[in-house]
Amino acid sequence: MADLFWASMTELARLIATKAVSPVEVVRVHLDRIAAHDKDLRSYITICADGALAAARQAEAALMAGRPLGPLHGVPYGLKDLYDTAGIATTGGSKILADRVPSTDATVTRRLAEAGAILLGKLNMVEFAYGPEGLNPHYGHARNPWDGATHRLTGGSSSGSGAAVAAGLAPGALGSDTGGSIRIPASLCGITGLKPTYGRVSRAGVLPLAWSMDHVGPMTRTAADAALMLTAMAGYDAADASSSVLPVPDYRVALTGDVKGLRVGLLRGFFLDAATPEVRSGVEAAARALAAAGAVVDEVSLAQITNAAPAVLAIIGSEALAYHADTLRARAADYDPEVARRLKVAAFITGRHYVHAQQVRGLIRADVDAALARRDVLLAPTTPMPAPALDERQVTLGDGPSPVRPALIRFTQPFNLSGHPVCSLPCGFTAGGLPVGMQIVGRPFDEATVLRAADAFQRLTHFHARRPVLG
Amino acid sequence: MLPAMTSHPIDLDTLRHGARLAGFAWSDAELEEIRPQVEIALRLLRALEAIPVGDTGPTTHYRTV
Repeated sequence: MADLFWASMTELARLIATKAVSPVEVVRVHLDRIAAHDKDLRSYITICADGALAAARQAEAALMAGRPLGPLHGVPYGLKDLYDTAGIATTGGSKILADRVPSTDATVTRRLAEAGAILLGKLNMVEFAYGPEGLNPHYGHARNPWDGATHRLTGGSSSGSGAAVAAGLAPGALGSDTGGSIRIPASLCGITGLKPTYGRVSRAGVLPLAWSMDHVGPMTRTAADAALMLTAMAGYDAADASSSVLPVPDYRVALTGDVKGLRVGLLRGFFLDAATPEVRSGVEAAARALAAAGAVVDEVSLAQITNAAPAVLAIIGSEALAYHADTLRARAADYDPEVARRLKVAAFITGRHYVHAQQVRGLIRADVDAALARRDVLLAPTTPMPAPALDERQVTLGDGPSPVRPALIRFTQPFNLSGHPVCSLPCGFTAGGLPVGMQIVGRPFDEATVLRAADAFQRLTHFHARRPVLG
Repeated sequence: MLPAMTSHPIDLDTLRHGARLAGFAWSDAELEEIRPQVEIALRLLRALEAIPVGDTGPTTHYRTV
């Protein structure tokens, strides 16, 4: 079957279940694609070719024997290399953990396996997930597949997940998001990424960056695939103290394509005003498209949102240093110098800063809750600009120049503080052919409405269906 | 409060003191290397301290129900 590597996870599951294709064929097609392109893209740290093919043969045998099939039976995927995988190295993108081989799977790794998914490999990432650019000096900088001429950032920290899914080297992947690390690469690489509500998906067996800010979630090419993966992953886990006991719906059922009467708040001020003109016009056009389909769109601003950056610095810095302090004392030279520098700077954050930041967090959360009291979702750009070039240090935004790093996390980090569910999806392309992403923010534990809106937008438009041309 | 929280730019003695308080024995060269980033961070932290929070309770974890 031609171009099987561009099939969605939903379509692959259907093709496999109806015996139109074999899981072995599906896995082979993806392994071939990885072999052909990953030398340039650097999206994988470990490729599990033998394990994936063995699992595919077992999946095929189960299919032929008529055994019950999970919703992801035979469908391959990739894991950011901070999810524990029994018997497979889990490096966190660091050479410090290069030989670390867990004896058990992370909870979500196990749940996806129980749903029938097949692991293709472990994906590249920023070391210990501490950075939004997507750079990794140990395993190579992942490359954004949308520009064959210029090495552009994938965004991070889930850099390999963004590049692999966008380039057809995996139909879906998992990322993690502490300040935007699912949504930023989703935006820069033109894919769909979901940061679920804090507590919706277990983080047990996932290397932490900052416990009170870490979220894990799917990165796919469609909202429907994100719904498929989330349904398989979400739910209470006694091994994660932050895990919610709320029941998990089948998110696929919510995907009606209908947004009539959906109340959408377009986030102006801090968000749209700071975006570049092409990003701003992409998000505004998306709001118009949803309104034309029956959504009720108004504009809203969040008063506390400008306070997010210092609060994020205090919280992520403190929690990350708490986790890394002993290793930093013993092996500072083995860290990515940028990551080591960020950790060292965190030593100057005091307990008083940390508590004050958590109070600010309460204000921001209340602000977002208030905006959602009379609306179902909020709409905002994901990143203020499209993918910068590797050597770009400064970008010009709608409100002036900014270094690349704070610009990348500016629109995403408030929702790590607030914990609300957010989906990033493509809403346009620049004149130069780079994807533009937007965020759909929902009420706590209402991923169903977020995904319904995202899926409806993807039925109205074709930005998510555009593919990069690889060399 | 560290002197660095109220003065700018930060001097080496203050950096040494802050690192020691946090339990790190970094060399002067290592401290010099991070000095620009520390100064940026301290500016942000001063901005953080200036945000009025009233009697808002600290939210260390989101509601997980």
